[in-house]
Amino acid sequence: MDLLDRYLQAVKKHLPWQRQDDIIAELRANLEAQLEDKEAGLGRPLTTGEAEDWLRQIGPPRQVAARYQPQQYLIGPVLFPTYWFVLRTAVFWVTIAYAVGVAVQIAVRTPSWAAVLEGVLRVPEVLLTTAASVTLIFAVIEYMSTRYPGRWPALAAFPGDWTPSALPPAEKEAVRGEKPRSRAHAIAAVIMIFLCLVWLLLLPHHPYVLLGPGVAYLSASPFQGAPVWWQAYWCVVAITLFQLIWRCIAIYRGRWQQQLSAERMAIAALGLIPLGLLLSIGDHAYITLRHPALDQLRYGGALDSINKSIHLSLLLLCAINVLQLLWGLGRMSLDCYRKHAAAMR
Amino acid sequence: MTLTENLFENLRLELRRGCLTLAVLVQLRQEHYGYTLRKVLAERGLEIDESTLYPLLRRLEAQGLLTSEWREEDKRNKRFYRLSSDGEQILSQLLVEWRAINAAVNATIDNML
Repeated sequence: MDLLDRYLQAVKKHLPWQRQDDIIAELRANLEAQLEDKEAGLGRPLTTGEAEDWLRQIGPPRQVAARYQPQQYLIGPVLFPTYWFVLRTAVFWVTIAYAVGVAVQIAVRTPSWAAVLEGVLRVPEVLLTTAASVTLIFAVIEYMSTRYPGRWPALAAFPGDWTPSALPPAEKEAVRGEKPRSRAHAIAAVIMIFLCLVWLLLLPHHPYVLLGPGVAYLSASPFQGAPVWWQAYWCVVAITLFQLIWRCIAIYRGRWQQQLSAERMAIAALGLIPLGLLLSIGDHAYITLRHPALDQLRYGGALDSINKSIHLSLLLLCAINVLQLLWGLGRMSLDCYRKHAAAMR
Repeated sequence: MTLTENLFENLRLELRRGCLTLAVLVQLRQEHYGYTLRKVLAERGLEIDESTLYPLLRRLEAQGLLTSEWREEDKRNKRFYRLSSDGEQILSQLLVEWRAINAAVNATIDNML
């Protein structure tokens, strides 16, 4: 039967070449036996229309051939949860890294709206490249694990080594004495810290983001900041970056509820560095005159008062920071003692 | 096909998949080639498409549950399948499982109706 031959030929084209002759011979034997039965039942050969209906009922050649192949996935159901987790994690971290990179680049080079726009417009490209790379890697793993089963059990079973106690806390359950925070809340806080960092990095080139129109008065004023402010500024930038990284790691590890007091203490301790730097300068000369020879007589008194006020404020800030640190240490020691006492009972 | 029909079809296929394998294994305690196996199962009320049954036989053979041999019958070469000794062992376990599931599901249904 011509139609059956054509059908089998079409199926054969979609079969793997090593097995196609064997499969087609078996399929032919089965279909010819079926055809004989049909024709015996009718008492005549099938008409072309009937044969077409019969073959159509069996299915399209490509689909029939596909059934003889092992089920093929780009990324199969065993690997998919791991792939999805890695994809989301990679996209999250790449976005953060890219944003920080672009912000630093914009702040260090000559900042302009065109550079900001270019940075934003490249976001889809960066995300697509990340997603494509992760997908490609997992497609290769899937292919290898299908072709050579048993060699990739650790990846397929990822995360293999886990304990229930390492799971993130329930979102409504906060650490004692803290307000409960959802993951979305924690991510929003990270975004705010990141924006704060960008704002800080913009300050040297664009002081109007801090002072607004007051910049004009500042440049015309007879006063100027001492160089120690720059050292303190970079300390603050470093502390903000540290806080950003800390929060990102906490979210990644699912511990955004648990490490708040530790983070607060670390920030308070690090905050003492710029304060110490500022307090250590001689004569409390935080502000100086641009032209001392010309302006000393006129502005000397005011300058002295300003520097004394700044010094007092810094001392106050330092005291608050130390108290915060001591308070945090006290609470932490008390918690440790309570836990130890509970364990001993 | 509506969403409900599509959902029903997917669930039906899922439900049938394991049952068909079990029926094929049971039936192949006796030797058959593809077409006669399909006919016997259809006579017992279990219709299986050609494009499902014939590849399934190949897969079960590749898994070691069936053995096959080419033989001439009615002047035509046919591939005959039969349950292997490994297949017999696994089938016994599957039948125990099947009876337990069947009894449990029936009891649940009877209890609810």
